[in-house]
Amino acid sequence: MTVLGGYLGAGKTSLLNHLLRHNAGRRLAVIVNDFGSINIDVALVESQEGDTFSLANGCICCTLGDDLAMTMTALLKRTAPPEQIIIEASGVADPVRIAHYGTMPGYRLDAIVVLADAETVRQRSQDRYIGATVHHQLLGAELIVMNKVDLVSPATCQAVRQWLGIVAPGARIVEAVCGAIPLALLLDLSLDRMAVTTDVVGDRLVDHRSSYETWSFAKDGSLDGARLRALVEQLPEGILRGKGILTLSDAPTTRTIFQLVGRRWSLKQGEPWDDALPSSQVVLIGLPGSIDAAAFEQALQ
Amino acid sequence: MTETTVFTATKIITMNDSQPEASAVAVRGGRILAVGSLDEMEAWGSFSIDNTFCDKVLLPGFVEAHSHSVVGGFWEYPYVGHFDRVAPDGRHITGCRSIAAVIERLRAADADLDDPEEPLIAWGLDPIYFSGESVRAATLDRVSTTRPVYVHHMSGHIVSVNTTLMRHEGIDAESETVGIVKDGSGQPVGELQGMPAIMSVRSVFERLWSSLNASTAKWRFGHIARNAGVTTASELGAAAVTPEAIRQWQLVVNDPAFPARIVIAYSNRFGGPSDPAQMAAQAARLAEHSSDKLRLGTIAKIWLDGSIQGFTARLRWPYYLNGTNGLWYIAPERFREELLAYHNAGLTVHVHANGDEATDLLLDTVEQVLLASPRPDHRHTAQHNQLASADQFRRMARLGMSANMFINHIYYWGDQHLTETVGPERADRMNALATAKRTGVQFSMHSDEMVTPLGGLMLVWSAVNRVTATGQVLGKQERISLHDALRAVTVDAAYQLKMDHEVGTIECGKWADFAVLEADPFAVDAMALKDIPVWGVVLAGKLHPADGRGRE
Ligand SMILES: [Zn+2]
Repeated sequence: MTVLGGYLGAGKTSLLNHLLRHNAGRRLAVIVNDFGSINIDVALVESQEGDTFSLANGCICCTLGDDLAMTMTALLKRTAPPEQIIIEASGVADPVRIAHYGTMPGYRLDAIVVLADAETVRQRSQDRYIGATVHHQLLGAELIVMNKVDLVSPATCQAVRQWLGIVAPGARIVEAVCGAIPLALLLDLSLDRMAVTTDVVGDRLVDHRSSYETWSFAKDGSLDGARLRALVEQLPEGILRGKGILTLSDAPTTRTIFQLVGRRWSLKQGEPWDDALPSSQVVLIGLPGSIDAAAFEQALQ
Repeated sequence: MTETTVFTATKIITMNDSQPEASAVAVRGGRILAVGSLDEMEAWGSFSIDNTFCDKVLLPGFVEAHSHSVVGGFWEYPYVGHFDRVAPDGRHITGCRSIAAVIERLRAADADLDDPEEPLIAWGLDPIYFSGESVRAATLDRVSTTRPVYVHHMSGHIVSVNTTLMRHEGIDAESETVGIVKDGSGQPVGELQGMPAIMSVRSVFERLWSSLNASTAKWRFGHIARNAGVTTASELGAAAVTPEAIRQWQLVVNDPAFPARIVIAYSNRFGGPSDPAQMAAQAARLAEHSSDKLRLGTIAKIWLDGSIQGFTARLRWPYYLNGTNGLWYIAPERFREELLAYHNAGLTVHVHANGDEATDLLLDTVEQVLLASPRPDHRHTAQHNQLASADQFRRMARLGMSANMFINHIYYWGDQHLTETVGPERADRMNALATAKRTGVQFSMHSDEMVTPLGGLMLVWSAVNRVTATGQVLGKQERISLHDALRAVTVDAAYQLKMDHEVGTIECGKWADFAVLEADPFAVDAMALKDIPVWGVVLAGKLHPADGRGRE
């Protein structure tokens, strides 16, 4: 489960539409809990065998028997449950609180992504009514998508990025136009589909390869668990997302699944290898300059 | 010609200021034909006299402009709350004031269930009154070690469960769901906080959920109203307005045996369109399902913030005593769009605004909407409005708004407000009814059933005494007169539901809806007001005695 947060007008809907357009047949369920976002292209969702669920108004954490929990458990009972769900949080919701729903049985929290409108976010953060809410949302983000950067000057962009770094020190920050960011940052994709490529946004071709770097590593057999942990703990700030299906020397007969979003990462036991040949594969995505392939490889050997 | 019945009473308090008192009321075809003395009834020709109330006092049936019907569903299960309540069947249920009392009541309920597999569900638990002691699996295992036990807290966000239920649902040390409370050694203790955790006991929760939405819940809600003298109650936006739900409301409320009128506020909280214009259009279209007893399509509900006792209300500086502030439930821009859409569709909008910062946002927004789209007699109502100050009431008056005050808070949470939430000065002016009156704001009072029990007399008692559960007086200067308090639970509440031309006073032409009391509120001590026995109600001339004490 991925939580998509951010104040009204930050571009959650365009990001979702981008995601649905490039989703390529995965069974996604989008749960919308924001009445600002009624422009989700439902036809698009249907053609992709996904679902969009509009949720009730107001606070999903205050109602008795709230829709979100009910919808999420109902989804699990389907004959073909979605591979991943994206919850678009209400414009005033605390994304961290919504993320708690991702700890329900049958779910795993993938990422807390918060959008910030490069043009208005600083002003909103000063608003008498919702300033504190905006700050709180940013503070809870694992990944902040600074959206609409085409509408501000490079100097403003730089200033907003710096400001975000101060108000949300725990988050990784990426820039976007019309919410177009690589899918791999938002979803838990299979390793072979994580590579960052190009997107068409409106009538423009956006080459993500100039904004992101990908590092892939594969080897037969196992990795040393201690060395891997040491590497992950020392990854540079610019690393945004990582995934691996590994064999660790301390658990050679089962897969170990590595997940990294922003600063949060985990190693969890996966399926046994059984007859398959144990191997180790890792993919990391980062901002330009964050990937030192030689050093990473050396650390794992 | 339709028959005329004249009811006589010791005293008829009409709440019609042109004719405050009478001793007889003539009813024809469910409506009030005449009010006065028995002699004055002669003008309308022959009539029969009904002396059932000759030793009783009649008031206009109480009108509750903010209640919720789900409480009827909870009454399918035993109540283990701190405060006394009257069950739908009229039984007086004593509050559970100790953990021992909770266990005793649950054991009795356990013995009443035939099927050993059936989960025992209970509700209303309020552990804040057990001086720090919690009610969890260790306690609930003393009720049963074989039957699943599920106790829903009064706050609505927390559930306590026993070990059997945790075992059935696979809750153990490995459970990772946020909100499953664990002890120092990592074992779950039997407390589930928040919906993700509560959904860990889904099968039992869903059982409760279906009870809350059943037609029996609506029937019980009607009986609760009757027992409290309430003849017009509202469902303020916490129930679905789907076609099936509306059919169910129609079947129940339009049944001649159902003892109350019900006004349903539109909200899309349980489904429906999300575009404001479509929401407003759907809300207005619901009017076609209305009847004399069931009202739809006249009012809508929007929530701005949370609750004061839950620390989720939006407060003006200096916020809560602990320095925090609450949560917004809707973005201000979105609120403005919804309000404008309902406003343009001709609805009266009831806006949940508990804290004074939420009240500010409400006033700012109503002002913008009125400038954009002037409309006479909109009656937009601030709901709860608990911390509104004099400057806000003055603005409310200028904007033509109404206020529905949560006066029962003084009794139920006043002590906590003094020491835990907002401190003495603001607690003293919570639900400032006298200020509302002074500044000329039209106001009513509500119970928010099930948050506090439904009933006009309790509200009136709270308004004239302002006494907390431990007997402290909060803000003596905000007390109002008994007459004003009675207005606020009759005709002034009817005004906010756009029904003051039909109900709210005992007056020629209105529905013959009466609260029948065993004593005159003006003749008893102010502190005894809440204890005046209610015989039952008359609805459109039909007698509905309260269960357990009335007679057909
Ligand atoms: Zn309410």
